Amino acid sequence: MSEITIHSGETFERVFLNESVNLHIVQEAGSVLKIHVLNFAFATNNIIVEQAGEGCQTEIYALAFLHGDESVTTETHVTHAVGGGTSNQLLKFVLDDNSHGRFVGDLKIVQDAQKTEAHQTNRNLLLSDAAEMRTQPQLEIYADDVKATHGASTGQLDESALFYMQQRGIDKQKARQLLVAAFMKDVLATISDENLKEQLLNSIDGEVE
Amino acid sequence: MSKLLEIKNLHASIGGKEILKGVNLVINEGEVHAIMGPNGAGKSTLSAVLTGNPAYEVTAGEVYLKGQNLLEMEPEIRARAGVFLSFQYPVEIPGVSMTNFMRAALNAKREYEGKEPLSPREFLALMREKKKMLELPDKLNNRSVNEGFSGGEKKKNEIFQMAMLEPCLSILDETDSGLDIDALRIVAEGVNRLKTPQNASIVITHYQRLLDYIVPDFVHVLADGKIVKTGDKSLALELEEKGYEGLNL
Repeated sequence: MSEITIHSGETFERVFLNESVNLHIVQEAGSVLKIHVLNFAFATNNIIVEQAGEGCQTEIYALAFLHGDESVTTETHVTHAVGGGTSNQLLKFVLDDNSHGRFVGDLKIVQDAQKTEAHQTNRNLLLSDAAEMRTQPQLEIYADDVKATHGASTGQLDESALFYMQQRGIDKQKARQLLVAAFMKDVLATISDENLKEQLLNSIDGEVE
Repeated sequence: MSKLLEIKNLHASIGGKEILKGVNLVINEGEVHAIMGPNGAGKSTLSAVLTGNPAYEVTAGEVYLKGQNLLEMEPEIRARAGVFLSFQYPVEIPGVSMTNFMRAALNAKREYEGKEPLSPREFLALMREKKKMLELPDKLNNRSVNEGFSGGEKKKNEIFQMAMLEPCLSILDETDSGLDIDALRIVAEGVNRLKTPQNASIVITHYQRLLDYIVPDFVHVLADGKIVKTGDKSLALELEEKGYEGLNL
């Protein structure tokens, strides 16, 4: 586990590609954390974030796209220990074949952390009947003047969209590719580095084929 | 005039319930056929079966497109062979841009016809040309397919796709539903502009109104899974006046 302190007013931004990420991050007042965790093979991620100062900003984006027997577990433990901060988490899993995904999302807002805004969204797409996703969001909110939302959903490709594309002459494989790429795009779209973003968007178009 | 589509004794069901109970229909190049009928008669089932919608099962009968066995083709092959459905409810596809979608569709068709794919420049020029022809706004390209489109925009977008793909057989399924009179006119004018002596249309509608704009050569009444009456455009007027019950079917 890497221990990182983001000092007051500083920004820590990083894209982790195909690695297991184990981070314990303490944010001082007004600091910004923005990470992307992108997994296209086996990984176990554990991300612990503590907002220890006022007015911190935390952004966690995660994408896993798995085939075969691959599995990815991603845990996020975000604690708002001081108020006035924001946290935004968007995590997506696309699971094909026999692959497994697991998300544990632990979000805590302590009693004194008033005026906190926290959002956690987990969306998953199962491309085969054998793929499996487990989602465990855990919200502990002890402050009363906060804005917090969370949502988790797991679904399959939209059959009516597939047929619509087939009716225009697009074969099923290509139609799936377009829909899967569309599903993953919004996670990548949040990457600040334009070159890397472009490169990843292109590689994901190829990945689905 | 050569035969484009031939439907022989077509039976189809959904979830074990028989909807089409022996449809026979011949469509020649250059013709416009209207299919009218009460709710539940099987109008939309017919369009679903012709396009290969997997929700429906064909239990008997044959369909030929230019002599080829249509029912043996995958949905995308039917489309590339020139069967186009303007959906009653066009599907929204968030995250897939109109440009990517349309380019995949057009190049798939071109490949099927043994043609080279269009370059991005040629493709965009064609998009512009067709939009201009149909008097559609230019903003379409970067939007996701049908996402957030109004009812009228969705139907116009269907006709735009039809213009891009130049099908030999267009099936317009309740294209008039949910359209105000101005949108209806734009859509109908688009369809009329795309008409050639080599292609044909099936216009499925509830109301005579659309047929004021898209004038059919034949009007068929579909009731309880069969075509029970065929006439010229005056049959649509008669239906409007007397209703389906007044026809003594």
